[in-house]
Amino acid sequence: MADGLRLEGLSKHYGDNIALADVSLSVPDDTYISVLGPSGSGKTVLLRVIAGFEQPDGGTVQFGGERLDGVPAHRRGIGFAFQNFALFPHLSVRDNIAFGLMYRERDPVIGQRALRTKVEDIIELVGLTGLADRGVHQISGGQRQRVALARTLVTEPRLVLLDEPLGALDANLRGRMRGELRAIRQRLGVTFLHVTGSESEALAMGDRVIVLDRGRVGQFDSPDTVYNQPASPSVARFLNCYNIFAGRLEGGRFVAGQAAFATGGTPRAAAESAYCIRQDLIQIRSSESPPRDGEAGILASFVTSEYSGASVQYFFEADGGRGVEVEAHLGHRRPEELMPRQPYNLVWNAEQAVVFG
Amino acid sequence: MSTTIANAVVTNPPARAPGRSRSWTSYVLIAPGVAWMLLFLVLPILMMVYVSFWTQTTFTIKPILTTKSWEMFFSSDTYLASLWTTVRLWLIVLGCTVVVGYPTALFVGLFVRNKTLSTVLLVLCVIPFWTSFLIRVLAWRPMLGEQGAINIILMGLGLIKQPIEALLFTELSVVIGMTQIYCVFMVGPVAFMLSRIDPNIIEAARDLGAGFPRIFRKIILPLSMPGVVVGAIFVSVMVLGEFATPAALSGRKTNMLGNIIVTQVGSLKWAFAAVAGVVLTLVMGMVVALLLRIVDLRREL
Amino acid sequence: MNSAIVKPALAVYTGLFILFLYAPFIVLGILSFQTGPEGGPQFPIQEWSTYWYRHILGLTPPSRIAPLPIGEALIRSMVLAFMTMVVSTVLGVLSAQAFRKRFTGAGVVFYLIVLGMMVPGVLVGLGMALVANALGIDRTWWGTAFALHVVYTFPFAFLVMLAIFNRFDASVEEAAWSLGVPPARTFRRVTFPLIWPGVLSAMLFAFTLSYDEFARTLFSSGRELTLPLAIYGTFSVEIHPNVFAFGVLTTLFSFALLAVYAILMGISVRRARRLAIQEDIA
Repeated sequence: MADGLRLEGLSKHYGDNIALADVSLSVPDDTYISVLGPSGSGKTVLLRVIAGFEQPDGGTVQFGGERLDGVPAHRRGIGFAFQNFALFPHLSVRDNIAFGLMYRERDPVIGQRALRTKVEDIIELVGLTGLADRGVHQISGGQRQRVALARTLVTEPRLVLLDEPLGALDANLRGRMRGELRAIRQRLGVTFLHVTGSESEALAMGDRVIVLDRGRVGQFDSPDTVYNQPASPSVARFLNCYNIFAGRLEGGRFVAGQAAFATGGTPRAAAESAYCIRQDLIQIRSSESPPRDGEAGILASFVTSEYSGASVQYFFEADGGRGVEVEAHLGHRRPEELMPRQPYNLVWNAEQAVVFG
Repeated sequence: MSTTIANAVVTNPPARAPGRSRSWTSYVLIAPGVAWMLLFLVLPILMMVYVSFWTQTTFTIKPILTTKSWEMFFSSDTYLASLWTTVRLWLIVLGCTVVVGYPTALFVGLFVRNKTLSTVLLVLCVIPFWTSFLIRVLAWRPMLGEQGAINIILMGLGLIKQPIEALLFTELSVVIGMTQIYCVFMVGPVAFMLSRIDPNIIEAARDLGAGFPRIFRKIILPLSMPGVVVGAIFVSVMVLGEFATPAALSGRKTNMLGNIIVTQVGSLKWAFAAVAGVVLTLVMGMVVALLLRIVDLRREL
Repeated sequence: MNSAIVKPALAVYTGLFILFLYAPFIVLGILSFQTGPEGGPQFPIQEWSTYWYRHILGLTPPSRIAPLPIGEALIRSMVLAFMTMVVSTVLGVLSAQAFRKRFTGAGVVFYLIVLGMMVPGVLVGLGMALVANALGIDRTWWGTAFALHVVYTFPFAFLVMLAIFNRFDASVEEAAWSLGVPPARTFRRVTFPLIWPGVLSAMLFAFTLSYDEFARTLFSSGRELTLPLAIYGTFSVEIHPNVFAFGVLTTLFSFALLAVYAILMGISVRRARRLAIQEDIA
């Protein structure tokens, strides 16, 4: 069972809209994979093709070493958790969870006792004890999420596809469910493929992160690598924590409009040249202290700041109206008093910039 | 599980075009309905067209093709008169349903902005449909007769001295009866279209100083036209195919094509009945095509 | 705008309109209590009595006025309406289910089905009679007439189900498939319970339309009359208040049917409410 999920050259379009251009990847067993992509990147379509709800126009899906082309959804052994939970509204929590076991085609659980034990076990695992006989409309959003998960997990799929599973929950609950999802997955040893549009969710949850970019795999790496070394300017853009300057490389320097930045290391080849520096790696200095050796920087005037507890987000405007954002973590720096419309030097270590050219 | 999937792969060759299996199930699901309609709707209509060219003898028909029945239809004053009656009654009743129904639709759809009240009013209009159609027709007899309710009321009010005899067993009674029965089919679609008008548009027009007649002509009427056309299609199809209301309320004096078909079948003149049926079908087809010409329904709805 | 005048005027008009719709029934209801057997179907009421109701039920001494031939006709009409209801609802659900996926020819099929409710009863009735004659088949209410009743009611059931499926959240079905439950069983266990209120409406439509149908039945039912045909028969002869009394009774029956429907709907309302709540989240 070492073979996990393998996708080769998957493509799918709706009329002129390309949902999946050419997706190829191989996912190992027993891992938590997040799939990050902005809306329209084809991430939900990808899940639906893997689940068998949609047929791809081209390419293959393999799972456990078997090709799944034309295999109907109910014979794939792949679980699916919907963003809207898609609970059976006419059934109680218990019946929702028992549904798959009772009615599935392959070895349904017939004995009442066996069924009860399995259902009770999973109810305990996901923390729904005492709610088994409620209707699914009598429980909270977070509890519905757990029912949806329990319903899928109790059928023991080897792979569970989760389509924005936390999207319908409020921020508080979302934070709590993140940890629980990881814990449950680890205990059961299944593979989770978790689609999300939130970069923080993707990075926090996945052992590995797939970044989807216009129907292609933009990057497939560990969260750390994705975060520190985005594979392309678009990936950096999705991460929502980079300042990205368009321009071109000229003799070891990157020219973006009137500014020119020092580069450290070799720039990476990419279709689009760009200079990316993470917002939390920038220091704010007075306009009198320019970047030193090994540093790069840009002169920009302060616009405004936004305080969010653990950090402050500063907004600057460089020449040509280009916005530059700086994130300062309050743990190791005091918030600085900046004067609006005054110029400051924004400086960073050139080694830390990610350059594409 | 692997074996299940392996089996599935064997029985489902991967070369299959995507999406094929899904429309295949659609065809299986739709087949019984389509078969039923072809056998019991399309076949009878085609049969009717076919039989209209058969040879009619006194009590039987023979499958020897001839246009004799057709010639007879178009040379007989009775048949041509009934064709004219059908068209005339259709036009009058259609006009009446629009005139009688539109103001009600205007009130229910546009002026009553309280959802509950408008629903209650519409339900009130629909309740009569829960009684038998034939009883509804018959109910007009004690209303319109010489000693009917209307005459009694009018005489009681001193408006007339003699009962109006023309109320029952005339074309007028047929028109009144049909208008009452069918005008709800006009009220419904029109009220629906009117209820979709954004009140802000009318508000804005009023702010610009437009009076009600102007607002009605420029905004309300054009926006309600698709509703009128849908209602007109309902009413037309039903009125053109009528025979029971004239039979009950005209004292057999008003004969529509439907009545001709009924009497011809009664005297086993199947081929003539078929001719009248085909003529009726053609008239109806033209009427519906004409109405659809007025408003592009697919675009409007 | 002079809507200050327009609105009350329209309100009064609407009141008159509703009176116009109901007046014949009111008159009919009053006259059904005319005395019998000598009282006629017109005003004035000579004496209030329930004679004509008893007449219908065969509780009056024989008189020159023949009782309405409704006993067997009523049973036939009910059986026919029930058969029609079952078949047209099944066809309606199947066809609407088919329409949930796009398939080539869907447009033509849609019009073919809707044609069934548009084509006048006399035409299909005549056509069916001709087909039956040509094939040498006996025309019966449970055969040829039944086929035509379904032609008429199936489009209504189909449209009702189409509207229901339009609002149906297909992800619950996909959820069932992903649990390993095959599509047929998913339909039985998930889809059907959720569309049940719609199915109920379709059944109600089909039953009442068929129960009241006479234009199609007239040519295609042969010798044995259904209830509407029995009433239609009275058109040609002198009418008596027994027909009015009968009208009142059938109307009451229709309302009873409506009440049954309302109760069944009420039972499934809780289910529907659950569904609504679920949709709110989505």
